[in-house]
Amino acid sequence: MDLHEEEVSGVTVVEVKGRIDSTTAPALGERLTANLGAPKVRVVLDLSRLEYISSAGFRILLLAAKRADETGSRLVLCGVAGKVRQLFDLGGFLDLFTIVGSRDEGIAALA
Amino acid sequence: MVEIAIVSRRAEFGRVTSLVEQLGVQHRLPREVITDVCIALDEILTNITDYAYTDDAEYEIHIRFEVLDNVLEAVIEDSGAPFNPLAIPAPDVGAPLHERRVGGVGIHFVRNLMDEVVYDRVGDRNRLVLRKRFKT
Repeated sequence: MDLHEEEVSGVTVVEVKGRIDSTTAPALGERLTANLGAPKVRVVLDLSRLEYISSAGFRILLLAAKRADETGSRLVLCGVAGKVRQLFDLGGFLDLFTIVGSRDEGIAALA
Repeated sequence: MVEIAIVSRRAEFGRVTSLVEQLGVQHRLPREVITDVCIALDEILTNITDYAYTDDAEYEIHIRFEVLDNVLEAVIEDSGAPFNPLAIPAPDVGAPLHERRVGGVGIHFVRNLMDEVVYDRVGDRNRLVLRKRFKT
C-alpha cells in the first residue's frame, strides 16, 4: 500500500494505492488519525487506485469516520468503484460514509 | 499442489498473498479470483492469529493450494481453539455508524466471496477449505 497526500484549496487529499489488509491497515490508521486529529479538518480519501480492502481496512475507516464526527472534521470518500465498491456494499458500508464520485467533487464538497 | 507454512504473525501474511499472486500468473487465473482469495485468506489468517491462541507464542499455520478443474482451493490448518466460521451469524449491516462493529464482517466477506467454505475439526486441528471457481 502506498499513501500519497496533497493539499488542494485547504482540503487534504489522501490517495491510497494498492491493498488495505491486516498488514497495511495500521499505517493508514496512523495517517488518518494524524490528519483528523485537529478540529475542523477536511479530508478527501481517494480510493480510485485501491485494489481491495479487507475487514481490517474497514475497521480503520469506521474509526476515522467516528473520529471525524467527534472532532467536527469532515471525511469524504471518492473513487469507490469496481471490486472496492462491491466490498463496501457487501459489508453494508456504503451508507456509513459520505461518498462522492471524483476527487474534484470531494474537494468541491468540502472547500 | 503447493504448500506454505507461516507462523501466527501478521508480518507473515504477505508471503501467502505473494504465493497466491504467483499461482495466478502460473495458471492464468482471473484477477478477481486472486483478489477474492487474498481477501478471504487475510480474514481467516487474522482470525487465527488474533483469536485461536490464548498466549502470545508463535504457532504454525499451514496452507495448501491446489488448482483443480476451474477451481482454486485453499486448505488452511491451525492447531488453535476450535473455531467454526460457518457458525458465526451474519453481521447487522444496517446499523448506523456509532453502533457499527466490524466484528463478523470478515467472515461475512469470506462466505460471500468464496463459492464453497468447508470446516472440519480434525483431532486437535481446525481445517478450513476455501474454494473459488473460475472460467478459463
